[in-house]
Amino acid sequence: MTAGALGEERPTLFLRNATGLVRGWSVRDSMIYACLSTNVVTLGMVEWTVQSSFPHGNLLYSILISGVWVSFLVVAYAGLVVTIPRAGGDYVWQSRILGSGIGFVMAATGWWFILWLWAPIYGAVLAEEFFEPIWATLGYHGTFFVSDTGKFVVTLITIALAGILVSIGMAGYARVQKWCFYGGLLGVLVLVILLLSASHASFISSFNLETHKLFGLTGAYQQINLQAAKAGYVAPTFGGGTFGQSLLLVPFMMFYLLWPNWGTTLYGEIRGANDFRRVFSGMFIGLWTTVALSVLFLLLFAKAFGWAFYMNVNAGQNLVAKAVLPIFPYPVLMAAWLVHNSAFQVILILLFSLWFFGWVGTLFLSSTRVIFAAAFDRVLPDAAAQVSEKRRVPVASLVLMLLPAVGFGALYAFNSTFASYTLDATLVIAVTYLFSAIAVVILPLRKPDLWFASPASKIKVLGVPVVLVGGVVTIGLLVFNLYEWLSNDAYFVNNHNSLYYMGGMYVLAIVIYVAARIIRSRQGIDLGLINKEIPVE
Amino acid sequence: MKVFFATDIHGSEICWRKFLNAAAFYKADMVILGGDVTGKVMIPIVSLRPGHWEVTFGGQRVQLDTQAELDDIKRKIRDRGYYPAVMSGDELDSLNAEDGSVDRRFTQEMTKGLETWLDMADSKLRGGEIPCILNGGNDDIWEIDDIIEQSPSVSFAESKVLDIGGFYLASMGWTNPTPWNTFREAPEDVLAAKIDAVVASIPDMGRAVFNFHAPPYGTGLDEAPALDENMRPIHGGAVMKPVGSTAVKAAIQKYQPILSVHGHIHESKGVLRLGRTLTMNPGSSYSDGVLQGAVLDLNEKKGKVTRYILVNG
Repeated sequence: MTAGALGEERPTLFLRNATGLVRGWSVRDSMIYACLSTNVVTLGMVEWTVQSSFPHGNLLYSILISGVWVSFLVVAYAGLVVTIPRAGGDYVWQSRILGSGIGFVMAATGWWFILWLWAPIYGAVLAEEFFEPIWATLGYHGTFFVSDTGKFVVTLITIALAGILVSIGMAGYARVQKWCFYGGLLGVLVLVILLLSASHASFISSFNLETHKLFGLTGAYQQINLQAAKAGYVAPTFGGGTFGQSLLLVPFMMFYLLWPNWGTTLYGEIRGANDFRRVFSGMFIGLWTTVALSVLFLLLFAKAFGWAFYMNVNAGQNLVAKAVLPIFPYPVLMAAWLVHNSAFQVILILLFSLWFFGWVGTLFLSSTRVIFAAAFDRVLPDAAAQVSEKRRVPVASLVLMLLPAVGFGALYAFNSTFASYTLDATLVIAVTYLFSAIAVVILPLRKPDLWFASPASKIKVLGVPVVLVGGVVTIGLLVFNLYEWLSNDAYFVNNHNSLYYMGGMYVLAIVIYVAARIIRSRQGIDLGLINKEIPVE
Repeated sequence: MKVFFATDIHGSEICWRKFLNAAAFYKADMVILGGDVTGKVMIPIVSLRPGHWEVTFGGQRVQLDTQAELDDIKRKIRDRGYYPAVMSGDELDSLNAEDGSVDRRFTQEMTKGLETWLDMADSKLRGGEIPCILNGGNDDIWEIDDIIEQSPSVSFAESKVLDIGGFYLASMGWTNPTPWNTFREAPEDVLAAKIDAVVASIPDMGRAVFNFHAPPYGTGLDEAPALDENMRPIHGGAVMKPVGSTAVKAAIQKYQPILSVHGHIHESKGVLRLGRTLTMNPGSSYSDGVLQGAVLDLNEKKGKVTRYILVNG
């Protein structure tokens, strides 16, 4: 036996050599994971196009407000991680603190069913930020990849890609993921240099030149500004806008800033408060790296593109039936046009595509975990967790993820009404988060022993545990967002069909759970026992 | 016959107490603990002067001024799976890894803790009326074997075949090598020979139950975070790799017991079938004070597992 001491002046604990005692997480790795989850390129740049929904709202302010607010979610989730580590995330936290039924329904909807919608959303992003820009740059003038069929084809590619990556395991992909992050940052560096060195006038002439070459447009820059004005849209000045409307943009910004905690199921055995800081730091730095990149991009776009033009070109996507620019106004492509060289343009798009490819492999990862956990809890049939003996491929869970995703992919591509329910994908996960935030807040009451043994309970400001404050503020954030999503038409998710769609998912989860309780009961298995605590005395 | 199986409680007293209550709670006829009984961490509580102590626990330095406060913190430390070690400042200063004094103190605390646990078992299990089986795990020191052997209420199962109401429980606490160079680990070929030696005394393989600490390799019951050379999880913990035993897997495939229960890899809770064998690892959350386990119905007449459920008690 070899034992060592840990402590400052005098050792405060001794560890012996035993299985599983590993060094703490690398903050850098967790930061990369959190930064890729809150993906400024794939999700952020897409969502910035909706600013015109609240024309007096300022993107910069809404991003900063979101960053501050979501920081409290990071505190709350760091508290859950150190209190119940490596246990499967929301499913286990909610099952243990709130009950098995709530845990299953929230996890199934938020980490499984709604991923069926994320697949076509990711497909659309891949079409808009990869296939279409490259296609256009290479001189193909059609807009196949942003057509309904094109989007569906790209969705199928996305689903296949994510499915294959789940099948072959994360080992190789995680390495790729890290290089994608560094490659993506290299792309950012190139973009920064490009936009810093370009004048506004040179951008206008480059934009007009390239849009004429690629799409046959004349004076596209001016046309875009005119079209926005005709539609009655007046962009706020840079730094202008109202606080109220900026706040109303926050529910849109959640589409990309709500996910710094995506990797919380991955954290391991926790030893003390230092681990709380490490867990918190990884997510927090990741989130604020994204916020910082967002601000940097917007400042550079304002300098080179012109703030009003950037707002106008985005507004054109939403306010008029046929925008002047026939493809998604991808800022990277517009910046790449500053260099009149197709090879350079393609390389820059490829570098930025690493933000997509570094993340898409994890699309179905959480779903697999929930399906496996539910099967081990006997809520789903045992077969759902079976893997092929030779290749370790989770065939059944892949079918449960991929087939519905293909169906919803078709709906998303060919039914423009359904495509407008994009924020459903955020809303349903926000509901799951809300229950975890509630779990944090009531943890000291529901599981006092667990809470008081947790390092999280010891970290206080003015005598109040910061994790509980984080939980309460997170509840505020999520309730505000849910209220706005469900009551304000601007988010396109409060109409009947959207509510039926989301409600259907909750009904499906409840039906599965209730059916499982009944069927297992007939088999002599009481699912109520799963999380029932054995008395200690 | 209903059996409750748990594993890897690593010194957590709250989990031990729950384990002793599990038979009554789940209406089980027998309880089995699959190994890694002992903890990994020792917390020194320094005597400052008579009636006053100091300890750093959960990241906070606390001064204790009454016996009640001392008892309370010792309970909290034990519940988490750590050993509270009361000592003077001089004694603490003299402990160091090189001369083996830390190891000796660890052993002292582990054996003392186990003896206390077995005393609890005597009263809770009504002096052996409820069968209770304990096994070693790779992290368990050798000294625990004799202590458990001497318990009137608990049967020590290591490297034995025990008759459990018409089924034959073969136990093996040894595992394949780990990066931590622990007590009961051996190369795969040696482990295979050890398993064969134990299994050879099973009279009816159709009624065999394996209780092997190491999970079978590459089955999903053995996935742990991949580590770098500094024992740090790589890629933010996103990469898991199989670390189970090929010898255990081969034994299950060769002998096809009706059931094979495992532990060792805490985060790899799961169930699967390997041929006709129902194989499972209930995992462990000992540090949260949650006793993960499996409630199993074994049908003596049919010679098979008729029902099971994994629980977080």
